[in-house]
Amino acid sequence: MTVPSESGGSPPARPHWLQVVAVGRDPRKTAIRILVLVIFCFVFFRYVVLPAQVDGISMAPTYKNHAINLINQLAYVSHGPRRGDVVAVRAWAGKHVMLMKRIIGLPGETVSFNHGRVFINGTLLDEPYEKWPCDWTLPPIRLGLREYFIVGDNRTMRWQDHYFGKVDRSRIVGKMLL
Amino acid sequence: MRIVLRLIVVAALAALGIWLWTIFFPSPEHIIRKQLTKLAQDVSFSQDENNLIKMAEAQNVATFFSSNVVVNISIPGHEQATLTGRDQIQVAAMASRQEATALDVKFPDVIITVAPDKNSATADVTLNATVSGDRDAVIQELNITFQNTGGQWLISKLETVQGVTRPNF
Repeated sequence: MTVPSESGGSPPARPHWLQVVAVGRDPRKTAIRILVLVIFCFVFFRYVVLPAQVDGISMAPTYKNHAINLINQLAYVSHGPRRGDVVAVRAWAGKHVMLMKRIIGLPGETVSFNHGRVFINGTLLDEPYEKWPCDWTLPPIRLGLREYFIVGDNRTMRWQDHYFGKVDRSRIVGKMLL
Repeated sequence: MRIVLRLIVVAALAALGIWLWTIFFPSPEHIIRKQLTKLAQDVSFSQDENNLIKMAEAQNVATFFSSNVVVNISIPGHEQATLTGRDQIQVAAMASRQEATALDVKFPDVIITVAPDKNSATADVTLNATVSGDRDAVIQELNITFQNTGGQWLISKLETVQGVTRPNF
């Protein structure tokens, strides 16, 4: 058994408080932590969750203009998009600007509007999120095997002024988290 | 240590050389991207522009297009329009400045494909336009064809693409 001698070696000098604040007690460990954090954030905000800002009133009153939201890109890994989901739809060229719409029609279904009411395969669709009056009347449209019907919640404007319609599954980036 | 330093210097010089090469001999893709950025700037206008500047910028917009250009635009909420030739582009650019008080145009996403012969290229572009007074921005996908005419990349065809297919009623 050995006993450390009291006289042998001086204790290591404590780093200056400014250094502790700036780079931590062990700069190498701090650098590794920062690197891990940067890689995690890069992967997380690129492949898992995309931050987004709502621009426009087409999803009002559910989503207000300029609201911040998150898109869950892994929402449809285990299952396909479901009716009622609010999704982000990308353009062909990239994902910097996307459409934010609600899915009302699923692949293979027939969607129609009659005096503002939505009918799926001839059956009235219950839409509790629809708060404002709508008078759209549009003939039935049949969806393909990979097509979804998307539309905004704000249908107070003329249908000619609204972005809506069929979209291919590959265009749906993910589901809104909030 | 000296070898590492030399390697760093060589790598830095190589990077500088590549950067200078792209400045003096830009790739077609680089030129087209720059063209699109300039086009977006020239199409945009603010409400405090005087008539002389508006006229000059409208004329400038036409220079991005070839003389036999065909433009087909169909945007929800706006009239469908077909324009042919530079003159019609110029008239449309001037008309937009008279009808709206301000317009902000951006191309946030651009994918460029250059043909193997390097004489033509297509650009898939997302248009993000904000018209003063409108609460919703115009988001529209565009397909633009460029032709290399005498070293200049000019737009020979521009058409809207329906990413979300609206029913034809």
